[in-house]
Amino acid sequence: MRLLPSATRRFARRGAAAVLLAAAIAPVRASPQKKPTAPEVFNGRATIASAAGRGDAYVTIRVDRYSAPKDVKSMEQALRDGGSTAFVHALRQAPVVGRFEVGTQTFAIRWARQRDAGGKRMISLVTDAPVYFVGGGVPDAKSREGFDVAVIQLLLDPSGLGDGTMAAAARVKPGEAGVDVEAYEGDPVKLLSIMRKVT
Amino acid sequence: MTVPRLTASLLFASTVLAGAQTWKNLAPESFRANGQINGAAGGAASAIDIRIERYTTDTEHAPIEAALKAGGYDAFLAELKKAPPIGAVTIGPRSFTVRWAREQRNGDSRRIVVVTDAPVFFAGAGAVDAKPTAGYGVAVLEFTVDSVGLGSGTMAPAARVKPGGPTGVQVDDYSGKRVTLMTVTRNLS
Repeated sequence: MRLLPSATRRFARRGAAAVLLAAAIAPVRASPQKKPTAPEVFNGRATIASAAGRGDAYVTIRVDRYSAPKDVKSMEQALRDGGSTAFVHALRQAPVVGRFEVGTQTFAIRWARQRDAGGKRMISLVTDAPVYFVGGGVPDAKSREGFDVAVIQLLLDPSGLGDGTMAAAARVKPGEAGVDVEAYEGDPVKLLSIMRKVT
Repeated sequence: MTVPRLTASLLFASTVLAGAQTWKNLAPESFRANGQINGAAGGAASAIDIRIERYTTDTEHAPIEAALKAGGYDAFLAELKKAPPIGAVTIGPRSFTVRWAREQRNGDSRRIVVVTDAPVFFAGAGAVDAKPTAGYGVAVLEFTVDSVGLGSGTMAPAARVKPGGPTGVQVDDYSGKRVTLMTVTRNLS
């Protein structure tokens, strides 16, 4: 079916080529691209596999803003001085900076940081409560005591795609590298196909 | 909240049982099933092995049935645990003792019900606000296989049994949602 006269189609093709060419040249002349930052939303799939089976869930992470340096400083100080308990206390005093959503449940994020990691974005998030005790359904499941938060880490390429890990119920402790994260489930949950939502 | 009921009736009813165990006994036998459960947040799948050394005899069955009728779930559980082990349900590295297993022929197919003496898994208990797990002391598996040995079924991985309902036996599952046993296969021995 012909929608346009042939001369118009040729013009349209040339026009399209010109637009593509302009788009290709444009970045050379444009000012440096602005780095993506909050507010931003990520979607992905949480997956865990063991000898007993495999589980999957879709997750949404909303970061309204990244934590202010003063809030981070006070949480780090609390961890150094008072260990895990003091850290959780300080975390729960910090303002909510995002949300972690899985199914019908929502968890407040009170720690959100990002840094450059070899051209990629490394994003660390901590919720103020555990998200799920993976393996907590077995009859002789271990105690949940002390696993009071969830720790999420994402690694994203410049296009906003990537993967990550999540300690769905975690204990944060001071360690040799500054911070040790102990996951209730042993091996952290994998976060796959993470995608920054384009708004 | 609706209480889920295992419609299997567990073959407890004496009328069903009378002729149920008379034809050729295929035990010892084993089955492999793919267990699946889905919720609002996601889903999980697991391979389940079911080994039945022999089926529960009418003589062994009678006191368990009587205990349930007379003393309810606690009496049932106590009597079940006195029964000899007759098989195992295995998921990954974990194995659970089967102390009650019955089969019922229906045309070319068999309906098999298996009860373990402990819960296998509390589905959803990993949630932060999960309800207490106490009182769900068994797991109940029910599946149908055809003459080739293929079939499907359900599993209440953490359940309690009580008298009641149209069949006389009611199974309440901890999670309110049963695991679907997909593609049950009788293993060739």
